[in-house]
Formats: sequence, C-alpha cells, structure tokens
Amino acid sequence: MHGVRRARQSKEALEVKRRKEQSKLRDYLALTDDVLTRKKRNEWSREALHATTQLLQINPEFYTVWNYRRRILINGVFPESTPEQIKDLLTDDLSLTMEALKIHPKVPGISDDGDPRGWEKELWNQELFVVEKLLDADPRNFHAWSYRRLVLESMPVPKLETSDLAYTTRKIESNFSNFSAWHQRSKVLSSLWSQEFDLVHNAMYTDPKDQSVWIYHRWLIGSGDSRDILEREIAIIQSLLEEESDSKWCMESLVHYKRLLLRNHASSVVTSTLTQDCIQLLHQLRKVDPGRRERYHEIASELMSS
Amino acid sequence: NQSQNKDDLMYHLTAHLRMNAIYWGLTALCIMGHREALDRDEMIEYVMSCWDEETGGFGAHPDHDAHILSTLSAIQILVTQDAIERLDIDRVVKFILSLQQPSGVFAGDSFGEIDTRFTYIAVNALSLLGRLKDLNVEKTVNYIVQCRNFDGGFGSRIGAESHAGQVFVCCAALTILDRLDVIDTSMLSWWLAERQLPNGGLNGRPEKLEDVCYSFWVLSSLSMLKKVHYIDSDKLVSFILSAQDPEGGGIADRPGDMPDVFHTHFGVAGLSLLGYPGLVDIDPVYCMPAALIEKMGLRKGWQALERRTG
Repeated sequence: MHGVRRARQSKEALEVKRRKEQSKLRDYLALTDDVLTRKKRNEWSREALHATTQLLQINPEFYTVWNYRRRILINGVFPESTPEQIKDLLTDDLSLTMEALKIHPKVPGISDDGDPRGWEKELWNQELFVVEKLLDADPRNFHAWSYRRLVLESMPVPKLETSDLAYTTRKIESNFSNFSAWHQRSKVLSSLWSQEFDLVHNAMYTDPKDQSVWIYHRWLIGSGDSRDILEREIAIIQSLLEEESDSKWCMESLVHYKRLLLRNHASSVVTSTLTQDCIQLLHQLRKVDPGRRERYHEIASELMSS
Repeated sequence: NQSQNKDDLMYHLTAHLRMNAIYWGLTALCIMGHREALDRDEMIEYVMSCWDEETGGFGAHPDHDAHILSTLSAIQILVTQDAIERLDIDRVVKFILSLQQPSGVFAGDSFGEIDTRFTYIAVNALSLLGRLKDLNVEKTVNYIVQCRNFDGGFGSRIGAESHAGQVFVCCAALTILDRLDVIDTSMLSWWLAERQLPNGGLNGRPEKLEDVCYSFWVLSSLSMLKKVHYIDSDKLVSFILSAQDPEGGGIADRPGDMPDVFHTHFGVAGLSLLGYPGLVDIDPVYCMPAALIEKMGLRKGWQALERRTG
C-alpha cells in the first residue's frame, strides 16, 4: 500500500472498526462467492454481468472478475444484442472503467490493448477526450500516457504531429516538472528538433533546479556530433552558472558536454583546458552534491588517466 | 502475524495478491534468517491449491485465473522451499511460452495485457526451471531494446516512459540472458543515481516521491551494472530504517506510513544489498536468497556492498 499514514488506535476503537467491517465483509464474501460460483458453471447471463459490475465497483483490482466479465460479454451478451445495444454496453463499460481508473489510477489490465471486444471507431475521439481529462487531474499517470499513445495510434485518421506537440506543450507550461510530457516529446520531435532549443532554454533559466529539463537537454545534444551546437549550449549553460553559482545541474551538464567535445572534436579544441575545466567542475560537484561524490570521483579519475 | 487475518476486510480485498504476498513474506524471512517462522507444508499446499488445471499455470488464490505474476511467485516459493518436484514443469513451461507475443514481449495472461515486467517474469521462471533453451532469446531481447529510452532507461512497453521498476525488470532479464551489452551503462547508471533525494530515499522517476520499494528496484539495477557506489549508502540505510513501524514492526513506503509485507520485503532486500549487518545475501537478479541461486548455477556478475559486522 502506498501513502497510508500510520495511526495508533486504541483496542476499543479497533474493535468498533472491526465490528463495523464485519457486515461489509459478510456482503463482500457473499458477492464474491456468488460471482465465482456463476463463473465455475460458465454462466453468461445478464444477472452474472450485473453481479460482476457490483463486485468490481467495490474491488476493481480483482483481475479474475474482469476476465469473467469479458467472457460474459463475448459469449453471452453480444451474440444476443443489436449493434446499437452493443454500443450502449461498451459505453457503459467505458464508464465503469473510467470510474475504476479515477479511484484506482494505477490498476493496469483495466485499459490494456489485448481487448478482444474491439472498440468501435466512433469511440476513439471520446477515448482521447476522457484520457486527457484524466491527465489534467493526474499529469504523471504513465498508464494514462500509455493509453493515450495507444488511442492516437488507433485513430482511423491520424492526428498531426504538431497537434500532439501542442498538447504536450500545454502540459509542460502548466508544470515544468512533468517528466512524462517531456518523454512523449522525444518520440514526436525527431523531425522538428531544431525549434526545441528555444523552449528548453526558457525552462532552464526559469527553474534551474528541475532535473527533467536537464535530462531532456542532454538528449537534444545527443552524441555531440555538432561542435557548433555543443559550444553554443556550453556557453549558454556557463552564463546560467554565473547567475546560479551552486547549480549542480549546470556543473554536471557542463562536464558532460565538455567531455563530448573532448571525445568527438579533440583535433579542433584545446584539450588540456577542457580537461582542467572538467576536473575543476567535478571538484565543485563533490561539494555541492556530496551524496553522489563517488561518481564524480570516478569520472575525474578517468579524465586524469586519459 | 500477517497471515492469520481471515476476518479482516482488507485481507480479502487483496486476495488477488496472495501468492505474491507469500513469496514476499517468505523471502524477507529468509534474508532475516528466520525462514522457519512460516509453516513449510501449509505453504506448499496453499501454492498447489492455486494450480489452474485448465491453463497449466497458477492463480493468486484458489479459483482465481492463472496469471504469469502468480505463476512466478509460486515457482519461487517452491524452489525456495525445495519442493519443485510438486510441479508439472512441462505444462508450466508451455503456459509461460504461450504468452509470448509476435512482437517478442510477454502478456500476463490470455487476455493480453503486455508489459516488460512479464518478459522478466517469463525469463526468470524459465531460468529457475532450467528451460531457457526453449525461449526465443533474440525476439525477447529485440523487444526490450525497442523499449530503451533517451535517458538510458526502459518503460513498460515501446514508447513508454522510463520507470525504475521497469528498469529493474529489463536489466534483470538482460542479465539472465547475458545481453547487458544493449544497455548504455554510463547513461543509465547516472539516471539511477539521480533517483536519490536529499532525504536519502530513492524515487522511481524524476520529480516523484521517495519510496522504500525503490531501494530494491534502483539498487538492484545499480548492482547489476556494478555501480552501487553511485549512491550514498549510509543515507539510504537510514531512510529505510526510519520507515519502520517502531511499535508493530515492518517497513512502510516512507516514514510515518502504514507498513506492509511488500515494502518490508523490498526494504530488507535493499538493506541486504547495502551490506547491513546480520542479514543473509540476496541475489538482486532473481530477488531470492543468493546462496540458493548460486547452488543452482544461476549466479551472474553483480556487485553488492560488503556485509558489515556488528
């Protein structure tokens, strides 16, 4: 369990709680018994479907009952329904799924893509609307991000890259710490990357302590094939460090990019100066970020022996 | 005390996790040197009562559908309890292999939820059963490679964000399959090192809260990459110990929260890797007692901190 505070309760209070739970427990066990009994005899009726709805509303993590529910729909309910009725059933099911996701946003399996029912195409836009609503409430929910990717891939008429880009931009501007949104950008931006640098510099200067921005910047630089871009970015980060003299992230990034210069462009740079810069920065890093000193020490040793 | 709460509502609401919980409890007790605290025969009978004859796998609880998660836990329990002869190995292997998708990833069950966690589970289980030779290794590794992200980490499926739990399962699967070459070690070990927060605890991805279970997911990954020294071990030990419940015992996700067997297990496992005195060595790849894994000839080249005395 996550995030449940420890509470010391008296023996009397615990006893009262236990007695209150007894009737809930009796009902839950009776319902579970009813559903599993129907399942064992392969019952596909509407009553069975209703029983699974009741049980899943109490305990959406009961994966066996989700499985049984799918089998009821496929074997019992759909064969006897018109296309209109099937659409209504799927919409209801979507509500149950979304309700369950709101209460338990981490239950996997609820929105997986191995679903043999096959969503009707008209529902894709609805799906996108609903999952983006969930992301407004919980911007770091990676299950929702995965499901949104799946929805975009499944749309009969694909959305434009720039519109997807616009969505992630909204998420980032409302909260620079949203690493999930930065990640999605890395997949979309291969052909649009040159416009990225302006956006990233803005974030860096606004909140230099946010690691998401720095990790993303490192990807933009990539393997450092462009000496011009490396030198330009090093200069920009150097200026920021002058304003924020204790910035671990400025220092860590400068070391990494200067090492890329040393590795890829040794013939056109002053290697001794760069190496000295790195060693000095690593020395400072051991002071401002002592927890990770062993790594900084290891890198400095590598530099000194090369 | 965890096991006999049959008239507690929460006990029943978590029936779908029962097999996993037994594995967590048993392994934690082994690492603390008290495996005899749970009855061996009762445990084995419970495991076998979860066998799903129709599919050839194990469910989490009697009458629950077979799933790869509970199947691995069942195998791990039987191996730890030296009762593997109770298993119909051919059938279980068939069940596990049947879950591999054309893309190379594994599903959890016949309903098809895919996740790299399930890939690890399949590789771990087949390895414990001595049946890795039945696996299409290239296909399996190829999917994991496609899950590799710009930060060096891995997600649950292609396109998904890096997360410490997924990093663990991908590292461990690649370790068992001898394919650590596909990992950018300097990048990933840096990303993992940055999971440590000023309070000493580890988080699972950037800007998230610390949680004791990441003491295992992050730490064991660093252990496989031989970079355990990249984090401050004293601070992490203090953090894990501060998440204990001083009155009832057990470890929670963070200080002040309710303890549970899941976090107790992973907290103890983390402490073992950090060389905490008085604990038994744990194998970070399989998350089982190291001596047992070594005896089975399955030990790989990972690194833990030396066990301190006193």
